[in-house]
Amino acid sequence: MNMLSLQHFPIYSIMVLFLGAFLIVIFGKSKVFRHAVALLATFASFFFMAMLFKPVMLEGQTIAYWMGNRVPAGGYAIGIALEVDALSLFFGLLVSCVVFIACVYSIQYMSHDDNVPQYYTLFLMLAGGVMGLVLSGDLFNMFIMVEILTFAAVALTAFRNTANGALEAAFKYLVVGCIGSTCILAGTIMLYAQVHTLNLAQMSALIPGNLSTATKVAFALLFIGFCTKAFLVPFHPLAADAHGAAPASISVLISGVLTKSGIYGLIRLSYFLFQSMALGTMQFWLVFLGSVSMFVCVTMALAQHDFKRLLAFHSISQIGYVLASVGLCTAFGISAGLYHAMNHTLFKGLLFLAAGAVLHETGTTDLGKLGGLSRKMPHTTVLFLIGAFSISGIPPFNGFASKWMIYQATYQKAVETGNIGFLLVTICALVTSTLTLASFVKVTQSVFFGQLPKEYENVKEVPFGMRLAMGILAAMCLVTGLLPEAVTRYLTEPAARAVFAVTDYINNMMGAGYAQSAMTAPPAVQSVSFASAGVWSPISWLCLLMIALLAVSIVAIAGKYDRVSVKSPENLGGKYDLFYGGEQTVYSQVGGDDLFWGFKHNWRHYFSFMHELHSGVVNDYSLWAVVALALAIVYALIVL
Amino acid sequence: MFKKLIEESTGKSPWLFHINAGSCNGCDIELVSVLTPRYDAERLGFKLAGSPRHADIVVVTGPITAQSLPRVLRSIEQVPEPRCIVTMGSCPQSGNVFRGSYSICGPLSKYVHVDVDVAGCTPKPEAVIDGLALATKILQEKRRAMK
Amino acid sequence: MIIEALKYLAYVLIFPGFLFCFLTGMLLCGIDRKLVARMQKRVGPPILQPFYDFFKLCGKETIIPAAANRTVFLLAPLVGLAALVVLQLFIPVFGFSAFSNVADVIVILYLLLIPALSIMIGGAATGSPYAGVGLSREMVTVLSCELPLVLVLLAVGKKVGAATGSGLCFSLSEIVRYQMLNGSLLGKLSMLPAAAAFLMVIPGETGSHPFDAAEAETEICEGMLAEYSGAPLGVYKLSHAVKLLTMTSLFVMLFLGGIGGAIQNLILGAGLSGGAAGALIILLDVLVLFALCAAITAAAISFVHAVTARLKIEQIFKYYWTVVAALALVSLVLAWYGL
Repeated sequence: MNMLSLQHFPIYSIMVLFLGAFLIVIFGKSKVFRHAVALLATFASFFFMAMLFKPVMLEGQTIAYWMGNRVPAGGYAIGIALEVDALSLFFGLLVSCVVFIACVYSIQYMSHDDNVPQYYTLFLMLAGGVMGLVLSGDLFNMFIMVEILTFAAVALTAFRNTANGALEAAFKYLVVGCIGSTCILAGTIMLYAQVHTLNLAQMSALIPGNLSTATKVAFALLFIGFCTKAFLVPFHPLAADAHGAAPASISVLISGVLTKSGIYGLIRLSYFLFQSMALGTMQFWLVFLGSVSMFVCVTMALAQHDFKRLLAFHSISQIGYVLASVGLCTAFGISAGLYHAMNHTLFKGLLFLAAGAVLHETGTTDLGKLGGLSRKMPHTTVLFLIGAFSISGIPPFNGFASKWMIYQATYQKAVETGNIGFLLVTICALVTSTLTLASFVKVTQSVFFGQLPKEYENVKEVPFGMRLAMGILAAMCLVTGLLPEAVTRYLTEPAARAVFAVTDYINNMMGAGYAQSAMTAPPAVQSVSFASAGVWSPISWLCLLMIALLAVSIVAIAGKYDRVSVKSPENLGGKYDLFYGGEQTVYSQVGGDDLFWGFKHNWRHYFSFMHELHSGVVNDYSLWAVVALALAIVYALIVL
Repeated sequence: MFKKLIEESTGKSPWLFHINAGSCNGCDIELVSVLTPRYDAERLGFKLAGSPRHADIVVVTGPITAQSLPRVLRSIEQVPEPRCIVTMGSCPQSGNVFRGSYSICGPLSKYVHVDVDVAGCTPKPEAVIDGLALATKILQEKRRAMK
Repeated sequence: MIIEALKYLAYVLIFPGFLFCFLTGMLLCGIDRKLVARMQKRVGPPILQPFYDFFKLCGKETIIPAAANRTVFLLAPLVGLAALVVLQLFIPVFGFSAFSNVADVIVILYLLLIPALSIMIGGAATGSPYAGVGLSREMVTVLSCELPLVLVLLAVGKKVGAATGSGLCFSLSEIVRYQMLNGSLLGKLSMLPAAAAFLMVIPGETGSHPFDAAEAETEICEGMLAEYSGAPLGVYKLSHAVKLLTMTSLFVMLFLGGIGGAIQNLILGAGLSGGAAGALIILLDVLVLFALCAAITAAAISFVHAVTARLKIEQIFKYYWTVVAALALVSLVLAWYGL
């Protein structure tokens, strides 16, 4: 086989990252070298993924790759395999793209830190781990990649170990993350004992017809394992701690990439390995988990007083949207969920980078201490606002397009099944969206607007490299919001189709006809249709908005909107000061965590309950994990 | 045409900002009574504004105590042009019974140009409305003089 | 092509776009003020008072506080107004809709957030503590209204969807079309609570009297508007007026769309046809719409304004999430089970 044939691209795309990590360990002393290697490796990874776009997404190929060319023998997959279908490629593209942008950002962001070579090594290990996970065609390799990425993430969480709470956060993450990884390992072992293979495709063919108690327990174990990686409720406190402590560029990876790997694992597990999503009870499980995550975490976010912790909770809330939508088991729902997953990676990446920019310049992310930065960091402010509008679903940004699809999908599901529960999900999603807006208004007021504290008088705009990374993400937020049709047609719909094309997935890997011969019952083929109930065309909408804005502006200018105002402050002094009821201007910033007390007052019992629940003690969180596991096992045994 | 429209409107929509500069509260109550159903100054477009930035006419009551003077002046400065200043009651004009007190800095006209004085302790609502109507006229004049 | 473009431009600028919004919104606002005055046994300002206020503000100086972010400060009111005008373009006037096929009720739900957001961002950009408090209250008010509004829209969508057989219907023009053929939704028993809930949402969304904690002029100096003066303030006042029109006409289209059918039958029944009949229908539609909007303003805003005192912000939230949301939920459940 030619070294440059498409077959090799997936493994290249993983390898360059690990190779880069390796090189930086050895030669990382040189600043130029390590930056060049990191940039080159992440870009090459993205490049190889992008090269697969045409054959996989457009032509519908599935790329199967056997390492060392050890193809299946005697009907058993012995070798290690990579399999890239549209679903894997979707996540692969997303991951590699964001990793590259985070790398661009890191160069200036990390310039003041010690031990930067180690940072890049771990960074590339983390990226490589996630890439390996989403491209792998082998359950045990998925576990290995999970281990790599977990330990890289733990180490990076504690990277700034002088920062308050960094080691503690890393320790918590380590403990609960290991519980998750152990669950995945245990589940893998149990499945291997049952079906004697570790190849995803072959397992997908063998497991669904032969469910035993052991496989059901294995399902629950794997499920909880991947939930830990996606930080779904009840694992959400870890994310908050980890994000709060980790450097911003790592938060981008943890939130935008690592959680996606969890979602990817859940999709592979429930749609492929067990093909259990046709069951109403399984749909209920996923949708319920998603809804609880989105609601609980958005309320938790409202109560936060740290910029990055707030973003961390939002990140799980958005993952809740994704899971609820993916769990609907309709093509439209999966498409919507994946679209939102992509958007989440983009806007959350942007927001974390903006938080990082604030931290970089002021040295704090405490909402109570910041304020008025918009005059000092105007570009960061605009970029942050784009991210905030996107996550709150303000049209025409991308969050709106995908949330709109999620509402449609859940409501359609509710109407189709006649189940009022799905309707509650729609309502929950809509209300959560407004709560998201509320907490970003809080951040906007507390960090970027309001009054500038004395000690930040000399704050400057962040360096160009950091703004560039944010700018790329902001542009992508806008573009994916303006072209929802293109995004769904070329990215999410092929991926959603792939989710239902289990037979093709198996046959591609194991040889034509294998699925039909091995499976006791062929998977119930879902009708894959993307008929949506409404119409949303952002371009025409934006045109309208522009025309209207123009019209309003013209009228406003005719009305001397701005002409008289341009006067230099007079000797009188007080005229351009803020109005303080006649008093001289004093520093009084309204902001911080308790901004929406009118809301919190009504929910005070809920919030005090939550406050007591989130004790911050790792023993409690481990207990939650065990309880969740127990519940999952019981539920799996009952319904599967 | 647009300019004429604005001029016309300036006379029909004067918003008041009320500053108490140490008043005994008599004038303040009387000013509010102007807006009650009996006298209803809103039919002439008068409205109490919450912030000096929104106001056209500043109504000052009280004898301008030393404590209130800088605050009164600062608030008046913050009113955008064109603006009118109306003193209500005898206190801001002469100091009234407080005249000669160590803590009184009045009259107001020592510090800013006062457009209309409404005398009385307290002035009748009719007098207040008359004074405000006069201030509105002046406001219109000032608007005409702008540019 | 050019004719087409001009037509759409006319839609945006004149009807049902900017000019229409400006005139009718301001008139509604004037009617509201007059009615409140009459209810308090006052003579009240002239009906045209909001126009005077607006033009006066245009002629005032615009002071930009030294601490404010200038661009945001000036741009925010314009964006809010533009979003409202666009929103109005999406709301059909009975049978006539300018841009019906680019939006549905979810888009409208989100567009309604933009004016509130613009006023919050604009206020926050000044750095005034009054604006900070106002922003906090405004956001909670928006949150309060959101849940009932969502429930009402879903209930209507379900009701119409079930009746037309498509299962769910989010398109506003389809909702109106259905009503023009089958009578107003207000006539359906299951929709009565939803209509009542929507009526209660109107004052909250427009920030009028019992729910105007965010712009309380006597305690927090009009909150987010505290630092605005001159034309930008006028634009905010205009936005408020247009929002009146938007919310009331949204009510008409959601619950009283059947009247459009009656008008159509009246004109066509009189033996008219062709372009003249079409023009006449639109003219009557607009007049009827305006009359209905004024009536709803009187009922939902002026009356409530005249008889209530301002609520505290936590009371507003509680009221909307219990009483109003419960009403809307009743409707949704009834519609769900096909009543």
